[in-house]
Amino acid sequence: MGRKTAAFALSLFVAPVISSTGNTSDFKTHFSIAGERYYEDLVIQPLRDGRVISTFTFTTLLEGVSPRDPWDLETPALHLFPLTLGQILREYSITELHLSLNAGKWNYDNWGYPEDPSVSTGAELWAWMADGGPMSIDERWTGLRNALAGLFCASLGSLDSRRTSSPYSAFPLSSVPSPKIGIPYALRYATLPSEHVCTENLTPFLKLLPCKSRTGLARLLNPQHVFDADWHGLGVHVRSTESGVELRLSVQAVLDPVRQSGGKRRDWSFQILFDRTIDAACPVSSWSTARVVVSNDDGYTLSPELPMGDESVAMYDLASQVPLDISMSWPHEHTFPFPLTPPSPLAPLSIKRALHGSSQTHGVLSVALSNNEHGDITIGYLETLPALVTLWMHTIKVEVRGTRRDDLISDISYHPPLLQPNGHHGPSMLQVKLTVPAKSTLRLSIDVTKAFLKYTEHPPDAMRGWDLPPAVLFPVLVDGPVKHVVNDSFVDGIDSRDGYQTIPHRMYTPTLLVDLPTPDFSMPYNVIILSCTLMTLIFGSIFNLLTRKWVIVKVEE
Amino acid sequence: MANALGMYRTVKRLGIPDSNIILMLADDVACNTRNKFAGSVYAKAGRHMDLYGENIEVDYRGYEVTVENFIRLLTGRVDPSVPRSKRLLTDDRSNIFVYMTGHGGNEFLKFQDNEEISAFDIADAFEQMWQKKRYNEIFFMIDTCQANTMYSQFYSPNILATGSSEIEENSYSHENDNDIGVSVIDSYTHFVLEFMEGINKTSQVSMQDLFSSYDPVAIRSHAGVRSDLFQRPLDKALITDFFGGVTQAEVFPPAQEDIQTTLSVAEEMQEPETSQHVPGPQVDDYSTLEYHVPGNAPPNATYTLLSGKESEARDTQWKEVRKWTSVLLIASLVTWVSFAR
Repeated sequence: MGRKTAAFALSLFVAPVISSTGNTSDFKTHFSIAGERYYEDLVIQPLRDGRVISTFTFTTLLEGVSPRDPWDLETPALHLFPLTLGQILREYSITELHLSLNAGKWNYDNWGYPEDPSVSTGAELWAWMADGGPMSIDERWTGLRNALAGLFCASLGSLDSRRTSSPYSAFPLSSVPSPKIGIPYALRYATLPSEHVCTENLTPFLKLLPCKSRTGLARLLNPQHVFDADWHGLGVHVRSTESGVELRLSVQAVLDPVRQSGGKRRDWSFQILFDRTIDAACPVSSWSTARVVVSNDDGYTLSPELPMGDESVAMYDLASQVPLDISMSWPHEHTFPFPLTPPSPLAPLSIKRALHGSSQTHGVLSVALSNNEHGDITIGYLETLPALVTLWMHTIKVEVRGTRRDDLISDISYHPPLLQPNGHHGPSMLQVKLTVPAKSTLRLSIDVTKAFLKYTEHPPDAMRGWDLPPAVLFPVLVDGPVKHVVNDSFVDGIDSRDGYQTIPHRMYTPTLLVDLPTPDFSMPYNVIILSCTLMTLIFGSIFNLLTRKWVIVKVEE
Repeated sequence: MANALGMYRTVKRLGIPDSNIILMLADDVACNTRNKFAGSVYAKAGRHMDLYGENIEVDYRGYEVTVENFIRLLTGRVDPSVPRSKRLLTDDRSNIFVYMTGHGGNEFLKFQDNEEISAFDIADAFEQMWQKKRYNEIFFMIDTCQANTMYSQFYSPNILATGSSEIEENSYSHENDNDIGVSVIDSYTHFVLEFMEGINKTSQVSMQDLFSSYDPVAIRSHAGVRSDLFQRPLDKALITDFFGGVTQAEVFPPAQEDIQTTLSVAEEMQEPETSQHVPGPQVDDYSTLEYHVPGNAPPNATYTLLSGKESEARDTQWKEVRKWTSVLLIASLVTWVSFAR
């Protein structure tokens, strides 16, 4: 009891100190606070099918700080940088961290490239860690997963060794922090395609922001509207840049004002999209902007008028323009004419991926990549599959217009599922380099065998099937080893060199559902009941025979 | 699911922070694409109040909601890397409220339509918690068919239990929302929540009042109470002892001094306890103290060694201690939407 009171008194003593630092930080608003900068950005892009992509980006920059190397123990003071996340990053000395929680399938053809390329369905987590230190990489990975699972209320704890792989080429380290370049870095990558995203993920996410959801752009993040979107996702990206550690929190949503208006109009405003407007800017942000991507051929009206920016982007500064409710309307349009003929795809590649075959034991994984450009496109293709399916490498087949084209596939590397110490199989990893000829469709197919799982390994809804993670397409150099190219060198999305092209960012294929053979789950009970009955019968009669004495009793008259 | 969320909202309204609530939801009803009202869960047909709201933290969800995880949570046998939000961080001064709902039967409750937890499992888990000093008092509430069988096997002290229906009796849902197309809340939970609506942090309503409000005709089942393990009289046990985070600091000027002296004495007594323990001649005295402390409730053990004249201050102190420290409450909720019961 005495200690408890002492601790309470101590906390009372500490509280004024904290509040006083809070006051000073309020005092120095609009500028970096002790080497920390925070800025937020919203990009709204109306699409031709009436949908609206809104991308919120909240960036915190910790200037002059390098990621903790595993031997280092000091911790810097954090003001704007979320402490809970900062503690996790330091505890497990994470150099780079990318977490995305998305729901829905990103439609590259109609929506184009997303601002934040991490649009894999479900949860995706990858982290780069510097090797060394008292904890091993795998211990830190486990700790990181569980800590993030607790922080974001997600089931990331189940991203265990059965789902973890290290695809170094597709997910490179963005930049090696300047000191101690000699340290080897390790990557851990895992996906959980069946993870869903909901308010419980957004709640802790908003708590990481310095202004929470009270002021600034985050005010618009109304869960009832964000999660009603056709596609929505949260992203957490930590990376080290030349100027320090950068934390980028992003929320993307593809909203559909046409659906909300009953199929009539595509007019949108903050009020329509989010049922909220921005009343005040976040006082600690260095700048907060809202940008609207506009196309110049439409008869639209944008309000408020007089935006900054050029013809393609209208820019609003929250510092001077609050309260703000941007609205865009098409006054001459009575009803929105939905484009009936499929318009030309916005992305250079169209992707289809399917698992064929009616049998529960065998199947064919087939991927169709359609090149919409006038030049060949070379990409890296990465498939990380849990041991639920086994790929048969000798059946890999590449076809263009019905003819085999084995010259289009190169640099095949395959890691079979490895048996791990805990008795589980790790994921298998297939990475190839593909060249998709101009204006044609490349079909890649490979035979798979479906696993026969143990009775206890099935999920509660086993009949639904298992989700397979999406495959990843990543930009590569046309000549040379398969290596993700840092995308700064590509202007306008496409790099045309020697008639060859590649894609500007990572692309994700849709997820798959694999139907595995499921047992009759009540069978064990039937077996137990039957065998118990049999045993009782046998034991009972033998016991009777052995212990009973058969005598003739004379009944006296 | 609205059952569990209704309870979650109630305890949160009464002042329990999210960090002290462990919410387990097996289904993602709110953000399922089949939910017409995305991000919302309603408990009444009129859809007046969104239970999911904008501020919710679900600690265990989806496939994580298993019997194993639930028992591990209760008994504290979790992996070292499990985060704090997924642990039941209680001690022997914590009051715990456990609410469970779902499909069940005679002495079992189904998890995810896949596995069951039996009344014996929960009873053994509670006994283990008692032996490990993980609770002061438990209030166990369950809403399922034949719910009263679920608490029939309890044998650990200081457990108060209530359930929605007797053996061989079903618990029914309260009302149907025709826009959503499913039953939104169960009858028993509905009436409990309705009772709780009248409670605020300072209310002095006791458990007896809650149990007296049960109306078998309205609930359409016979809700039961088991209080033989519970040591306080029911009309003295406040609702807010389990449902509310009440931190009352009553200041009595003379008693205040006493408390401070007691505290300082207690601190002095405890400090040398470890240091003198080995060399001093009073080893025996202090070691008995040390054995006492784990054996009995610590406040009592400490205070028996203090001078006896401060009994009045001790009583106030004991009340204070209880009020200050017994506000930890955990609602472990296991649920899924009942389509047909």
